[in-house]
Amino acid sequence: MTFLAGRLASMALTLALISAITFAVTNVLPGDVAMMIMGTQSNPEALEGLRRSLGLDDPLLVQYARWVGGLLTGDWGTSLVFKEPIGPLLADKIVASGLIVVLSMVIALTLAIPLGVWAAVHRDRWQDGAASSGALLGVSLPDFFWGIVLILLFARGLGWLPSSGFVDPLDDPLGALRHALLPSLGLGLGLMAHLTRMTRATMTTLLAEDFVRTARSKGLTERAVVWRHALANAIGPVVTVAGLQVGYLFGSIIVMESLFNYTGMGWLTYQALLNRDLPLIQATVFVVAAVVMLANLAVDLLNAAIDPRIRLS
Amino acid sequence: MTAGARPRIALGRVGPRGALGVGLVAVALLVAALAPFAVPPDWATQMDMTARLAPPSLAHPLGTDELGRDLLWRVVLGARTSILIAVAAVALSVAVGLPLGVASGYLGGTFDNVAMRLVDTLLAFPALLLALTISAVLGPSLPNTILAIGIAFTPFLARIVRGEALRIANQTYVEAARGAGTPGPLIVWRHVLPNIMPAVIVQVTISLAFAILAEAALSFLGLGTQPPQSSWGLMIQASRDYLDRAPWTALVPGAAVALTVLGLNMLGDALRDALDPRLR
Repeated sequence: MTFLAGRLASMALTLALISAITFAVTNVLPGDVAMMIMGTQSNPEALEGLRRSLGLDDPLLVQYARWVGGLLTGDWGTSLVFKEPIGPLLADKIVASGLIVVLSMVIALTLAIPLGVWAAVHRDRWQDGAASSGALLGVSLPDFFWGIVLILLFARGLGWLPSSGFVDPLDDPLGALRHALLPSLGLGLGLMAHLTRMTRATMTTLLAEDFVRTARSKGLTERAVVWRHALANAIGPVVTVAGLQVGYLFGSIIVMESLFNYTGMGWLTYQALLNRDLPLIQATVFVVAAVVMLANLAVDLLNAAIDPRIRLS
Repeated sequence: MTAGARPRIALGRVGPRGALGVGLVAVALLVAALAPFAVPPDWATQMDMTARLAPPSLAHPLGTDELGRDLLWRVVLGARTSILIAVAAVALSVAVGLPLGVASGYLGGTFDNVAMRLVDTLLAFPALLLALTISAVLGPSLPNTILAIGIAFTPFLARIVRGEALRIANQTYVEAARGAGTPGPLIVWRHVLPNIMPAVIVQVTISLAFAILAEAALSFLGLGTQPPQSSWGLMIQASRDYLDRAPWTALVPGAAVALTVLGLNMLGDALRDALDPRLR
């Protein structure tokens, strides 16, 4: 409990820093929010009036305090492009992105762990060569390249899955899954390559350890040695790396959701960046960083649950 | 490793994959460096309206794009932009991250606490998101792309350097040097820097691979390299509308990215194995 209290206090400080960095980065913007709202043809006096009413003339520190105050009280402002309040807009998109992040994580883990173990067990033989080379090629290709290949193969070629759009899971669960599958695969394949390399490296080290030799010499089957004894110890580091990849995934979804026209957080962030929608940029960047921080906390807690040797203190 | 000795790169241990990596990286660097002198620039911009989206042929070995431009020469000249951005961005992250990490690890105390809190917070921003935001804020251009990727990669380098510097600062030979009255900056120069170099070299190799992927992603989203300049990411972006009719327009620049990044990753793996005896 003291651990959790400490972590929460530290999280509050990090969140404050995240908000400060977000605000600092986005306020280097040379764009003029007032001009974006009224258009370039509007008269200078009206612009000046709007600037004053939006508080854009105030010192940066005052503007920052107002923004953080809004974040805390649930008033996240209004998007300049979508003309909608940002809070509800974000809530929808987070659900959409959550679906493909979870799906891609499931795809990556269910493929990477067996493949990595298989490579480690057959170390330096052809199986290892094939799995390791495949994984190395996988981490060397841009994610969106996977996306393009998937579109060519499954949407244009075989016609099995739609290549663009988002369907709300509450309206049509199957349709939602069909639309989420290709972007999730696109994200998952790159992630799978990383995790396969990680699983192989961890398992290779573990299989050379004394406790594995002991397990073997007391007559356990090779299957029990590998899957019950060695893998049990490899899961922790693999889960840690997978959790840390949540940040990487939230970078990749910007590209993948734009490619698939999948209207989630990544797509929203991209629209905000392209249109220089300042309030929306600040909100999306802040939310993504906060989600990544929460994912890191979840990894720590999960690790403690998996590995009894880890004491949270 | 003996006290304070410079770690040597055991080149003999690089192995066949490492050698292949060195080869791929060398080819990419040579193409990027020499192409502008060896290839007349108009070869890549010459439009052949009679051969738009033409498949690979004798006249155009890798096919042509939507304006009938030769993809082989486009990809050769695009190498310069992609690799220049990656090298400059990683150089920037080393220039900031190395001194910051060394100071943090060697000095410790309040400076370390404050600097690493900042670095950890920056790490909560996905690197690609940070780079995209900086690029959108500053306005996409070649120098701003370098700046955006460079800033986004700095916290990773600072974290790794700090860990290594802290490890070295606690070694007996550093304590001995300190006890003998060697001034701090000299200890850093003589003992800390040479010993953290292996980790830095490995990280730089891997960062270069990521930087090439980041440039491709930024340009693909229209927030990186801008036309009329050409880069691999921009070529893939242009190919989006012609995927069914001319998939090679995406596959050619995609293969260029993949081979270069693959080379860097193989080199990075081999260097890590050769430089870090604990991993063997």
